[in-house]
Amino acid sequence: METWVAEPTGYRVGVDIGGTFTDVVLWDLADARIATTKLLTTPDDPSRAVMDGIRRILEANAIRPGDVGAVIHGTTLVANALIERKGVPTGLITTRGFRDVLEIGREWRYDLFNLEIEMPTPIAARPHRYEITERTGPDGAILTEIEIHELDAIAERLRADGIRSVAVCLLHAYRNPAHEIAVRARLGEIAPDLSVSLSSEVSPEIGEYERSSTTVANAYVHPTFKTYVDQLVAGLAETGFRNDLLLILSDGRTVRQDTATLFPIRLVQSGPAAGAQAASIYGAISNEADLLCFDMGGTTAKACLIEGGEPERTANFEVARVFRFAEGSGLPLQIPAIDMIEIGAGGGSIARIDRRGLIQVGPDSSGSDPGPACYGLGGDQPTVTDADLVLGYLDPDNFLGGKMPLDLAAARAAIRASLAEPLGIDVAQAAWGIHETVTANMAQAATVHAIEKGLNADKFRLVPIGGAGPVHACAMARKMGIDRLVCPLGAGVASAIGMLGSPISFALARADMARLDSVAWPRVAEMIHELIARGRELVAHAGVPDGEITVSTAAMMRYVGQGYEVDVPVALSAIEGAREDAVAEAFTAAYRKRFGRSEAMAPEITTWRVVVSGPRPPLPATLRNGASAAAGATPAPRTVRPVWFAMSAQFVDTPVFARRAIGPGAAIRGPAVLEEDESTLILPPDFSAVADDGLNLIVSRNA
Amino acid sequence: MSAAALDPIRLGLIWQRLNGIVDQVSETFIRAAFSTVVRENYDMAFSLLDVQGRQFVQSKRSIPSFIGTLPRTLAAVLEKIPAESLHPGDVIITNDAWIGTGHLNDISMICPIFHDDRLVAFAGSTAHTVDIGGAPSPTAQDCYEEGLCIPICKIVERGVENQLVIDFLTENLRAPAETLGDIRAQFAAFHDCRHKLGAVLREEGLADLEDIVAEIIARSAKSMRAVIAGLPDGRYSDEFQVDGFETPLTIRCTVTIAGEAIDVDFAGTSAQIARPINSVLNYTQAYSCFALKCLLDPEAPNNSGSFETITVRAPEGSLLNAARPAPVWGRHLSGHYAPPAIFGALSAVLPERVIAESGSPLWNVYFKGVQETDGSGFVKMFFMNGGHGARPGGDGPGCLSFPSNVSNQPIEMFENQAPLLVTEKCFVPDSAGEGRFRGGDAQRISFRSLASAPVTMTIRHERITYPPRGLLGGQNGAPGRDLVNGEPIPAKSRTLLETGDVATFQTPGGGGLSPPEGRAREAVLRDLDRGLLTAEKARRVYGDVGG
Repeated sequence: METWVAEPTGYRVGVDIGGTFTDVVLWDLADARIATTKLLTTPDDPSRAVMDGIRRILEANAIRPGDVGAVIHGTTLVANALIERKGVPTGLITTRGFRDVLEIGREWRYDLFNLEIEMPTPIAARPHRYEITERTGPDGAILTEIEIHELDAIAERLRADGIRSVAVCLLHAYRNPAHEIAVRARLGEIAPDLSVSLSSEVSPEIGEYERSSTTVANAYVHPTFKTYVDQLVAGLAETGFRNDLLLILSDGRTVRQDTATLFPIRLVQSGPAAGAQAASIYGAISNEADLLCFDMGGTTAKACLIEGGEPERTANFEVARVFRFAEGSGLPLQIPAIDMIEIGAGGGSIARIDRRGLIQVGPDSSGSDPGPACYGLGGDQPTVTDADLVLGYLDPDNFLGGKMPLDLAAARAAIRASLAEPLGIDVAQAAWGIHETVTANMAQAATVHAIEKGLNADKFRLVPIGGAGPVHACAMARKMGIDRLVCPLGAGVASAIGMLGSPISFALARADMARLDSVAWPRVAEMIHELIARGRELVAHAGVPDGEITVSTAAMMRYVGQGYEVDVPVALSAIEGAREDAVAEAFTAAYRKRFGRSEAMAPEITTWRVVVSGPRPPLPATLRNGASAAAGATPAPRTVRPVWFAMSAQFVDTPVFARRAIGPGAAIRGPAVLEEDESTLILPPDFSAVADDGLNLIVSRNA
Repeated sequence: MSAAALDPIRLGLIWQRLNGIVDQVSETFIRAAFSTVVRENYDMAFSLLDVQGRQFVQSKRSIPSFIGTLPRTLAAVLEKIPAESLHPGDVIITNDAWIGTGHLNDISMICPIFHDDRLVAFAGSTAHTVDIGGAPSPTAQDCYEEGLCIPICKIVERGVENQLVIDFLTENLRAPAETLGDIRAQFAAFHDCRHKLGAVLREEGLADLEDIVAEIIARSAKSMRAVIAGLPDGRYSDEFQVDGFETPLTIRCTVTIAGEAIDVDFAGTSAQIARPINSVLNYTQAYSCFALKCLLDPEAPNNSGSFETITVRAPEGSLLNAARPAPVWGRHLSGHYAPPAIFGALSAVLPERVIAESGSPLWNVYFKGVQETDGSGFVKMFFMNGGHGARPGGDGPGCLSFPSNVSNQPIEMFENQAPLLVTEKCFVPDSAGEGRFRGGDAQRISFRSLASAPVTMTIRHERITYPPRGLLGGQNGAPGRDLVNGEPIPAKSRTLLETGDVATFQTPGGGGLSPPEGRAREAVLRDLDRGLLTAEKARRVYGDVGG
């Protein structure tokens, strides 16, 4: 790498691909300025919308690609492929005798009383699961040498079955990957076109079922995702970008393109994780730490609880749950992830009359193609976006800043044909029914999510993000008993902003089990320094100057005999100085915090972790900077238009404000519409808003 | 709180939140646990009971028998230690088979929860411990051989551990660190529970839980009563033979529906025997109630209210209501027959609801020996489930726990803890009972001893002679098999495995439902394609299916 642009003088670009829209955000660090754009996602080749968006935003701001320090990218492509089962035909190779482990699972019923319980269908069907003679022991010793020639027949059958991608999960490969590596090497010779995922690389953790499930899911999405990222990287290079493409992982951290294409499963929650991070950044600007991030896009709506400024995390991550979102009914994935749960349908969700004669919304979505009826791309099914348009919440001439005119007549026609006429009500009432139904469903699901965590939903501040979040936010808060919202500027592209606002950060871990009283400290110190050096290199490649890099070290620890660890921060000096007592003390403190007690037993370390990060980008300063011009005054409305509200049960003339014209201290009483290019905030008559100096609108329900 | 303040929406939210708390708290227990039987097999339960002893919520990952027995355990505890003599920070323990879950290996604990100095609830938990001392064996003649009995006592008093109780446990157990570690993990769970329940009461402005619990119980009770009232009154019976020990035994069940009430009577069941397969009444009642809940009202939340109008009886001294000092170590070998007996009886009135028999009583194996690494002793247990019975809505899943809910343990974890190598774990072709809906496939699993010293292997398995029955014209599942080096061994036995010996277990397959003639041709072809139905059996059962 010859040069890199030092912060904070360069530019950074964040890109988020959702099911419907692709968002691009440009951050000019020197001028502390942000520019945004939103385009329809191009499902046949998602890189097209990304490149179009990047080109468009750079041209509009007269910036050369070579001057951009980092492009950071998140996407729901991986999750959608798993949920919709749109990956490639996938096989599995296991140790002889164990091909059914993937289907046998863990043998427990996630619903105790339901005799008709359905278990998830494995991605690799039984006829596509193959066994090879080999065996590694629990200590990593080879007990049976691998019969590598057996792969010839397996490869033959894989080819005959049209299998394009194969997962390899051999017993104890987390301890000794030699046989998995041998399988890949041989397949590379005899079936070079086959994509191969090794469990020892995708998820090097003990537990053959969960590791297989994770590896098979990785294999399933790998070929498509790799093609996509390769195209994108080529496109960026062609356009003149010089630095690495970085991608956001499910836990909000970053990886380089090469790691991401090897392990796409780690990106399953990529875009949404960045949304949750954006919410906590916005919350911090307004000194709010307990937040409910509500992200409603075109295809799905999600919620994430943020307590004390930290998004909730989960160790039991699952995708594609088959039964009412029940834990245990999905495919388990051994990946660290932010706990962002799906609470419903997005703006593209289709509304219809169900068997009870009631309005039902989703779960199917019109996506971006054909999209809602009002997009005028051939969709004739009424969607949430169509309803929001009919109700006056969206402006047909100002959607995406006027770049995408909406067809109000088409929206009305779709709602009339599918709902209003069959139900014998007028179009506005039917539209209201759609809006109300989807909002009530989301409020219910988000409330349940909070209480399932043992928390009371109404103590949280709602932070609406995503294109459709601010449209539904106040109505949803009212239903949840939440009386305060933090509504950020740029809500419609918040995930992309979250990617920019989070530090570039790489987490590196190495399993190295030892009782605390017998740690080989000099060797561990050496290993930690190796990890740190690798992390520093990665962060530097992303354009961060060496002096701004910070390093933290931690150990995963437990008492000998336990099966789960707590994360214990350990100072590098304690490792270098072999300070066993200091580590013991840190463990006791962390254990007491989680379990309320400590034991008189010997602790052990299972894994060492190193996190190497760049500085937290000065996003709040940038946002405040944008505010300075218009401080104080409440601007005059840009226009007035009829908008439907429940309490009046009719259209009411409502002032429409340009969201970007609202400076700190400005106060607005509902009813009001606040528009920016990528989203619209609806303030019902019983809510009012005050802008703070970070340009967040603090919205409260009138007493 | 006034009744008027308890609108249905608020009640629903608080109820859900209480459910959330027990799930979170049981997660705390699992994460702090020392044994794989808790952490990987989830052989445990956590629940909340009110001051009157009524259970109102339990964790999702609970063993059905444990949530059924905990209210009865609490009643016995309060009889010995009245509520007035309980203090904040107390924890009561017992594993008495007749008070707890039916055998000594399950340790139950009760923790009174105080809020503003007032007793508001009890947290109850039960967890399996692999070793409880003694010499439990398939030939045990009475319960005294089966290990240490912990009478009802305070293991923690006002926050301080009772050293005498700890010492008794330490001196009588083979792996005291693991068992005490699990016990203390439950102390952590109780601490967490106290904290979280207190937060709910504070935030909701409640002084206690009585009104909430009364509503919760009343609603579930009403729901169950309404379902029972909708069933035709009458007496329905089932009777079948089970493997037993030297001779087959009889399970007989009569279900009487009268208005809003159901009575389950196991009169006619064989007398208890001097072998460790007897069930105590607590355990029989728990699985009978569970079966009725699954069958009649699975959607309504489970709590004591669901069972207000259900009575379960069995003659004293019978296999399903054994009297002291009967040996009860393998009480599930009779108790797990309660659900199929009830389903069989009610198949006459609820043919659209009942499921065929599953490959249970639950299968497991104990290994006891010496570690190669450091010469220390080990006792390990491995669970393996059979095929689930076929259901009216579709085929039975393969290898799914029923009526218990015990997970398997990862093989990689097991091999790290015992000098045995698992050489296969796979579905067994032709093990499922055929029918319009097919039973679940069974599994075969083999263990090879790597230990230089002999490993003692103990098994107690059912369904070798009498396989899971098909129902309403469905065919039986395949019986189970136990082999050492390919030779059959008795299903209830203790064997020494020498170095290199291979023990193989094949669990029973699930029974089929309704005659095979009704099975869709595509389904048969799919079974053939998956290799779990052989062409030969397909021809025999379904004739020429082509393809």
